Amino acid sequence: MSEVIEPGLDVLERQNRFVSEHLRGIFVRIYRIVGNAADAQDLTQETFIKALQHEEQLKDEFKAAQWLSRIATNTAIDFLRRRSRATFCELDEAPESLSESPEQMLLRSEQREYLEDGLRLLSPRERAALMLRDVEGMPAEEVARQMNCSKATVRSHIANARAKFRGYVLKRKR
Amino acid sequence: MNHPNQATLALQAGGDLGPLARWRLERHLARCGRCRDEVASFQAVRELLPEVATLPEIRWNRLAAEMKANIRLGLAAGDCVRAEPAPLRDTPLFAGARAAVALASVLVLMVTGLVLQHPAPKPEAAAIEGVELQTTAHGIQVREGGGTLRLLDGGAQDFGMQINGRLRYVPAVTYTPGAQGSMGAGYMDPETGYMTVTNVYAE
Repeated sequence: MSEVIEPGLDVLERQNRFVSEHLRGIFVRIYRIVGNAADAQDLTQETFIKALQHEEQLKDEFKAAQWLSRIATNTAIDFLRRRSRATFCELDEAPESLSESPEQMLLRSEQREYLEDGLRLLSPRERAALMLRDVEGMPAEEVARQMNCSKATVRSHIANARAKFRGYVLKRKR
Repeated sequence: MNHPNQATLALQAGGDLGPLARWRLERHLARCGRCRDEVASFQAVRELLPEVATLPEIRWNRLAAEMKANIRLGLAAGDCVRAEPAPLRDTPLFAGARAAVALASVLVLMVTGLVLQHPAPKPEAAAIEGVELQTTAHGIQVREGGGTLRLLDGGAQDFGMQINGRLRYVPAVTYTPGAQGSMGAGYMDPETGYMTVTNVYAE
């Protein structure tokens, strides 16, 4: 009897360990692309469900992490594509803050909103490329692998994204 | 002086140019203050990005627990869906049957086309040549060469019958010629009402 149950438990344990190891990293990755904690939560869950449904892909830990990362990036890009513009939760719906005062929260929220407005000018792929390259510091080759496109395409996305975002910031400063 | 385009300057700000392009641009930047300022501006804006990417302060443990529970739930739901038997139309057997029906339909169409193109010959006169089928007042006779075969009902007589309250004349024998050279004769017994039918085929 135990022989039948043990493999199931083994798989369950492996899945739980995999989720625990990568959950925060994937959540952060998705959050940076979609810019919203509630959506990032949903998309993180979706990413892990997609990944864990293909158990055979998780045998090699290094490849599994890369594969998971690609799923996360593409899930986030698809989400942004589905919605012509990313949604942002209202301040009272935002995840609970632990240490900031209401004034600090408001200032931070305004600053974030100002920057997010600029990022909304980018296409989903431009935004994803910019976040992976400029925030996560990922090499362009790796960004290309993550986004399933060529390095030249990634560089084009990055150049466009930087130019659009800079144009927005300069315009708002005037 | 030819200035590089915005894309080149934007890529230079993040160190994303190839070695040759970077060498050429650096030569240009060494003598062009305007382009140097542009690159510096790109770099400054780039430094704003981590701010927008910083996670808001959240109760991570609670959020993580919630996400783990939802992932487990999603996987269990997926297992349930996968455990359902495949719809009939997706089974290989049904797919095979579908293909067989499609093939049979095509074959029927082809055969029909061939038949219509070359219609079956009409029954030849030779088949009944020399054979003569005749009807008489009391039956059928077949004549071939000098011989004659008669199928007669000697007792058959025309009679009257009440139909819907009126007296109708009913012939003793009714004849039905067939399309393939046959002849049928029906005799009705006026006493019993039994009907006898005889079919003669000429070959």
